[in-house]
Amino acid sequence: MQAHHMQEEQLFLKQENVWNAFKSKEGNIENHIAGEYDIIQGANNPFIELGEPRDTTIYYPDKQKWLPFKILTSELHWNNKIYLVTTYVSSTEITHLIIKVFLGEALLFVLLLIAIVILNRKSSGLLWKPFFSTMKKVNEYDITRNQSLVLPAETYTTEFNELNTVIKNLINKVNAAYYNQKQFVENASHEIQTPLAIIRSKLELLINQPNLTEKNASLLGDITDATNRLSQMNKTLLLLSKIENNQFPEIEEVNISQMVERLLNNLTVYYDNFPQVESKIETDVILNANYSLAEILISNIIKNAVEHNLPNGKIIIHLSPSHLLVENTGPSLQTNPELLFERFRKDSHQTKTTGLGLALVKQICTLYHYIVSYKYNDGWHQVEIIFKQ
Amino acid sequence: MKLLVIEDEPSLMQSIMEYFTQIDFLCEGVMTYAEALRKIDDYNYDCIILDINLPDGSGFELLKYLREYKKDAGIVIISARNSLDDKITGLNFGADDYVTKPFHLSELNARIKALIRRKYAHGIDILEAGNLKMDLAARTVTCENQILSLTKNEFNLLLYLINNKNRVVSKQAIAEHIYGDETDNMPSFDFVYSHIKNLKRKLKEKGCEDIVQTVYGLGYKLAI
Repeated sequence: MQAHHMQEEQLFLKQENVWNAFKSKEGNIENHIAGEYDIIQGANNPFIELGEPRDTTIYYPDKQKWLPFKILTSELHWNNKIYLVTTYVSSTEITHLIIKVFLGEALLFVLLLIAIVILNRKSSGLLWKPFFSTMKKVNEYDITRNQSLVLPAETYTTEFNELNTVIKNLINKVNAAYYNQKQFVENASHEIQTPLAIIRSKLELLINQPNLTEKNASLLGDITDATNRLSQMNKTLLLLSKIENNQFPEIEEVNISQMVERLLNNLTVYYDNFPQVESKIETDVILNANYSLAEILISNIIKNAVEHNLPNGKIIIHLSPSHLLVENTGPSLQTNPELLFERFRKDSHQTKTTGLGLALVKQICTLYHYIVSYKYNDGWHQVEIIFKQ
Repeated sequence: MKLLVIEDEPSLMQSIMEYFTQIDFLCEGVMTYAEALRKIDDYNYDCIILDINLPDGSGFELLKYLREYKKDAGIVIISARNSLDDKITGLNFGADDYVTKPFHLSELNARIKALIRRKYAHGIDILEAGNLKMDLAARTVTCENQILSLTKNEFNLLLYLINNKNRVVSKQAIAEHIYGDETDNMPSFDFVYSHIKNLKRKLKEKGCEDIVQTVYGLGYKLAI
């Protein structure tokens, strides 16, 4: 419709131009140009509708084709003579033009869009750089690792400066709260040591009383056991908070293979019916760690496997430079195994253990970025530590 | 033997004094830094048990002072701080040994006995208890002149019992003394029982029967 209208306008315009040119040159122009215009002197024959665009076709010998045209014929007067002026506008041409213009515009639009997107990305990337760097740092921040969060004070954007200040303040508050909590555990453990020492010493005096009866002895035995458990718990809690506070900075090359073998040998002494051990230990697996922490880690995992085993059970130990896997037979788990890494989390029936052994394992693994997992599978408990990713 | 106990917790001090008085030590106890200083200036002690955390001063200061003026007294530190730094500081300042709270009195006793032997026995490292004779330097034990073949752990166990002879020593104390930190988080100390059983059997073979007694499942006693 639009194209149609444009063509008509073009026809009228062309006619006006041709007629003006004719008049100004006083009739001295070419009267016939095929596909452009015809100027004929004389009156109209009644078959042509004047002033109305019509369709026609013209044969082009060079292209051997009939091409569609729109024509307009008008009766015009000049110097008391009548002229019939017919102008031609090619229909194909205009269609081509429309398509070309459309394509050109579309291309321009797409290019513009791409340019906008790229520019936008670039500029926003630059503009938001401080924001994303803050985000990354906040995301990487781990409160348990006792690190401080360093954010640039000047980002050259007021809003980001404010954001950094707010985050810094927040982290400082959280750190303070966390520090207080850690301090509380450590202080409490310290304070508990003295009363425990008193209870222990009094118990030792009591069991040395000359007229001790069997009944009293059994009562004392229970108290001694409980005190002992309390003392163990206390010791472990203290150890946990020390690891958290990074108080084991000395790192050395620890031969884990030898350590596993030695601890296995030592532990067999403590148990009358030590489970059957099947081990595949690669020689000279070396880790960079604190020696005592490595020992605590390995011995706790092995002890755990022995302690929670079945009578005549089995232990399978695999050690390679990348991981340690300890599997043991044992009663089915009542709780989600991953929860056993939490402090004081025990699987129902065990009342004599402190429930801190695996928490200790987890803490040490966190310190050294090892990945530890606990799975229960069809009668087998598996604790796996991946040393390197 | 004269012993000075410097400990700010009266109840604990009293326990320590009672224990050591029972095994024929001459004990005195003080609870503050100032009192301790006075006692140290006025008297001589063979051995001093020193708590690091005192209400009016640090045990380390006292330790420095002691080492400056009383060079010979054996000093055992007792401290609630189970940190390696404290231990190293204490030993650097001249302490002879270090025990962490909560300790077993029998452990403290064993440490003090060993310390006294090192300081005053002048190289004679032979312990006797009834028919038993322990040579600490050669690490051999004889019973009525027959040599007992003991494992390292059994030797240490017997030594511990002899150091605490005629006293009941609890299973836990034995476990901690002999196996140290390896017994951490172990729910039972039944392995002490099997060690005692083996020791008893070996003693019986050489004619030292019933010297080690079991006391109602609480602990063990070497009775002479």
